[in-house]
Amino acid sequence: MDTVINDFVQVLRRHGLRVSPAESIDALHALGQVGLGERGVARDTLRTTLVKNLEDIETFDRLFDVYFSLRPEQERPQAKLDAHGHDHGQPTSMEFGEEAGGEAPDSEEHSHEDAENTDFRRFFDEEKMRPSEDIHGEADKMRLSMFSQELILNRNPGALNQALQRITHQLRLRRARNMFNPGDLVTHGQGQELPLDVSAADLQGMLDHLHDMDVDEALIRQLEEQSEEILRGLPQLIEQMVERQKKLEKKKDDSALMRRSLRKVFEFSPAEQRETEAAIRRIARQIHGAKTRRLKQDRTGHISVPHTLRRNVRYDGIPFDPVLRRHHEKRPRIAMLCDVSLSTRNLSRFWLHMVYQMQNLFSKVRTFVFVAEMAEVTQVFEESSMDLAVEQVFSGRVIDADVNSDFGTAAEQFKNRYLPTLNHRTTLVILGDGRNNGKEPNVGAFEEITRHARQVIWITPEPKWGWSLGSCDMPLYEPLCDRVEVVRTVDQLASVAEDLVKTRA
Amino acid sequence: MFESIEEVREKLAGQEYVCDRRLATVVYLAVKLGKPVLIEGPAGVGKTELAKALAAATNRSLIRLQCYEGLDEAKALYEWEYGKQLLYTQVLREKIGEFIGPTKGLREAAAALRDQEDVFFSENFLVERPILQAITSETPPVLLLDEIDRADEEFEAFLLEFLSDYQVSIPEIGTIKAEHPPVVILTSNRTRELSEALKRRCLHLQIDYPAADVELEIVRLKAPDIGEALAKDLVDTIQSIRTLDLRKSPSIGETLDWARSLVVLGASSMNKELIEETISVIVKYDRDAAKVLAHVRGGPESKDLGQRDPTGEKQNEGMYEMHRSTHKHTH
Repeated sequence: MDTVINDFVQVLRRHGLRVSPAESIDALHALGQVGLGERGVARDTLRTTLVKNLEDIETFDRLFDVYFSLRPEQERPQAKLDAHGHDHGQPTSMEFGEEAGGEAPDSEEHSHEDAENTDFRRFFDEEKMRPSEDIHGEADKMRLSMFSQELILNRNPGALNQALQRITHQLRLRRARNMFNPGDLVTHGQGQELPLDVSAADLQGMLDHLHDMDVDEALIRQLEEQSEEILRGLPQLIEQMVERQKKLEKKKDDSALMRRSLRKVFEFSPAEQRETEAAIRRIARQIHGAKTRRLKQDRTGHISVPHTLRRNVRYDGIPFDPVLRRHHEKRPRIAMLCDVSLSTRNLSRFWLHMVYQMQNLFSKVRTFVFVAEMAEVTQVFEESSMDLAVEQVFSGRVIDADVNSDFGTAAEQFKNRYLPTLNHRTTLVILGDGRNNGKEPNVGAFEEITRHARQVIWITPEPKWGWSLGSCDMPLYEPLCDRVEVVRTVDQLASVAEDLVKTRA
Repeated sequence: MFESIEEVREKLAGQEYVCDRRLATVVYLAVKLGKPVLIEGPAGVGKTELAKALAAATNRSLIRLQCYEGLDEAKALYEWEYGKQLLYTQVLREKIGEFIGPTKGLREAAAALRDQEDVFFSENFLVERPILQAITSETPPVLLLDEIDRADEEFEAFLLEFLSDYQVSIPEIGTIKAEHPPVVILTSNRTRELSEALKRRCLHLQIDYPAADVELEIVRLKAPDIGEALAKDLVDTIQSIRTLDLRKSPSIGETLDWARSLVVLGASSMNKELIEETISVIVKYDRDAAKVLAHVRGGPESKDLGQRDPTGEKQNEGMYEMHRSTHKHTH
């Protein structure tokens, strides 16, 4: 069972879910509690132990369905076999043909093969673990026997693997034979025979091996019976697996090219994600902002009676040494203005991601995007997952993202509409390159905005020497900001955060 | 406590808490594995109610800790009772002579005193706050950490020890471990993302608005006076309202409020006038109300008028936001 779950966890990870080893152990324990009798329960169990983010639930459900879809099929293998003979041959063979045609990259075929191995093992495992009706006796007894079967199979994985490998080999032969006319079908009988022969011999070998081992006779018989069944169902099992494997692979984006490239741009590797998160946490600690309700001891502030009493117990309760506490400024209020124009689009992935993280970390972040218009997207970011939110920003539904950036107009709009969102506790973070494309820089409006904010930090992708080139108005805005940072990668963001920590008195 | 998932479901139903199998599975696992459950979902779908129902169903006491910004260990875990400590010192001053009386030399006296010193940092002087209560309780309680997302991140970190081992460390006394691990339920409205570390230690459960049949069952249970036909109408209406793009969709709480108000009004069937008159019970924002009414009247309700529309009333939106944030503060 653990191999099955581990394998499934691997699949989840490959699809971007963050599952820790502790969680997969939890999942195993949990399954031990509820048993495997019911598909729905097993699914809920895995979901509650493995999936902790709402955005991931959908992915999990899809993967679970695909991954464990062999199960219901094997309940009626005989019927399936007959139906299969007439209906299902075609698509599978097509499948092989296509792959043989060289369209699938090597790595894919490799993973395919790996999965086949584990797949078969799972088939056996499930066969064993399924509390089937045909074995008489109480549930406990049954589970025990199933467990021992599993032990046997695990002790002798070699024979099984050999069988599987040979089958895979055969399959590949068939593919190769089919190479010249990819669309053409292998006749059905052929497809059915080959793997069956091979595996029959190998299964027999395995059973012999089992006899050699010191094992309960009844158990072996049982296993033999099961192997019969397995053999009978083998061809469509392979078929199902191939189909399943296809589904398990990352969904290919078949929408417009534009969309695909966008999506690709915004995909962050988990490592990058963690790095950004850490960097932002560090920056956040440096941003001055709202006061918390949390009191800290300090040299100034109000007397705290309990702390004073406690400290002065040593003076007989006479308060020689009063303890003062005051509110510390810790959690910032942040307003983010993010330039999503074409000139900075290659960086927008990074920025929007940063914005998204910020909003996740702090409760009082409000986010605005601008090109020439200014619009608030706080809610979009709150409600959607990263990808969706970014897509929405660029879809043009929020603002027209395809015009030239015009910070002057944007500042004016912000001043008119959103100025009340700023107060003396707000830190304004502006992400943009300050290129106005020759339009009015409108420093007045910007100055007005900065007066309302406690602190203004401008993060630009362009190094300082670039500011004098082209129509960049950064030199005008710079004196109004408390700090201008050049950031264009996660690394730089991290180092800026590091700097901030160092330079702080 | 529970022997099967079905039993969980039945017992919860006995407390008038209707749940689906998924929820029952998670509760069952939480009890069996002794792991905390983190429940996420929109406001008013019965997250808190689950803890209450669970406590009642298992005859356990419910200890509740409402989280808020600035919550610290003095409020959540324990606090020394300084006044009492001081008082005891004063009162016991005379006694000390008796104890130390027959000793020879200061060293011995100090040693004699040292033997007694843990008197002043004993559990006797500890004010137990909810988490410590849950740990020291004689019978295993149900501990509800409500709206954990409102607490600071530091507080989350502080919870980690408790959540993984059901123990807390008090510097003066040492580590206190729960003999009867409590069932811990955390709820979150997702006003911010919780840390990975916290999530890892919990079973995760997402509760959403219920399906029509479950909701109908809840209405029947909680508002028994409502007529069968009316209940069905009401649930259908609510379900269709939830498909609209509203700022705050009506939750189960609002459904029940509505059901009860209709009972008070003596209504026998749903109609447009009735909905218009009682709309304030289920919808709490003006713009939402307008949208719902348009929808009910079957007018040209357009989804494009959603709040995310850039050409919408931005000024208003800003004010909503202001309103919302000040509202948050008053809590």
